[in-house]
Amino acid sequence: MRGRPERGRQPRQREGADPDLAAVHAAQLEPGAFDVLYRRYLDRVYAYAFYQLGDHHDAEDATERTFMAALAALPSFSDRGSSFRAWLFRIAHNTVANARRSRFRRRAQPLPEGFERPAPDADPAGLVARADELREVLGALSELPDERRQVVILRFVDGLSAAEIGLVLERSPGAVRVLLHR
Amino acid sequence: MTTRSTPERLDEAVDSLLAGDRPMVDAELRPLLDVSVRLADALRPVPAGRAFEQSLARRLAGEGDGLLRRAARELGRPGRLLAAGALSSAAVGVTVTAYAVWRSTRRAPAVPQRLLGR
Repeated sequence: MRGRPERGRQPRQREGADPDLAAVHAAQLEPGAFDVLYRRYLDRVYAYAFYQLGDHHDAEDATERTFMAALAALPSFSDRGSSFRAWLFRIAHNTVANARRSRFRRRAQPLPEGFERPAPDADPAGLVARADELREVLGALSELPDERRQVVILRFVDGLSAAEIGLVLERSPGAVRVLLHR
Repeated sequence: MTTRSTPERLDEAVDSLLAGDRPMVDAELRPLLDVSVRLADALRPVPAGRAFEQSLARRLAGEGDGLLRRAARELGRPGRLLAAGALSSAAVGVTVTAYAVWRSTRRAPAVPQRLLGR
C-alpha cells in the first residue's frame, strides 16, 4: 500500500491543466489504481466534510460515501468541462448536503467535543488550545449563509480556484469571486 | 486597458496568499486581504485519522475488485450480450412496425386507380 502524500494544504493547480488526468485514466482501466487519487484527496475531502459538518464521525461517513460514489462513477468521468478535483468535490458537496439534510431531520446539533486525534507525544496544552480555536472557527462558519460558507471552505481549506468552485456550486466564477469578496 | 474589479483583484491576491506568498495590495484591498490571511490561518487542514484512512482504503480496494470481477463476468459471457442485443433489436422492430401501422390507419383510404379508370 502506498503512503499518503504530504499532509496539509496543497499547492493550487494551474488553470487549464488537470494534473490528475493520467491517474484518472489509469483508474478507469484498472480500479486498483484509484488508490493514488484516494491518497491524494483524502485529507482535503475529509477537511471539507469536517468544516461543513463540524463532527469527525459525520465527516468520516461523508468522506467514505464520497470516495465510494467517485469510484463507482469514475468510468463515466470525462475531462471535458471539468477537472477531476472539481468533479470529486461536486460529489462531496452533494454528499455533505444530504448529510446536513438528514441531520436537520434528526434535529441533532452536534458541535464537536473532541476535535483532534492526539498523537501519542502531543502536547496537551497545545491540543486544548487547538480544540478551542477549532470550536471558534466552526462557530463562526456556522453563522455564515450556506453558499458563502461553502465558498470560504473550498477556497481556503481545499485551495480550489474560483472557476473550480463555480463548477462545484453551479455558479459562474464571477459570482464566486463576489461571494468571497462580501 | 481594462480595469479589473475589486473581487477579481482580491481573488488574485488570495491565489498568491494560498501559494505561500505575501501579495502586495493597495489600500482598498488591504483590509480584505488581512481578513483572508486570518481565514487562511484559522482554517488549517484537518487530516483524516490513520485508522479511518486504512479502513477506507481496504473498502475501496474491495469495491474495485468487485467492479473488475463484474466486468470480467460480463466479458466471459458473450451470450448475455448477444441476447441483450437481440432483445433491443426486436424492441426497435416492434416499435417501427407499430408506428407504420398507426400511420397507415390515419391516412384517408385511397381509391385504387384501376377502379377510377372503369
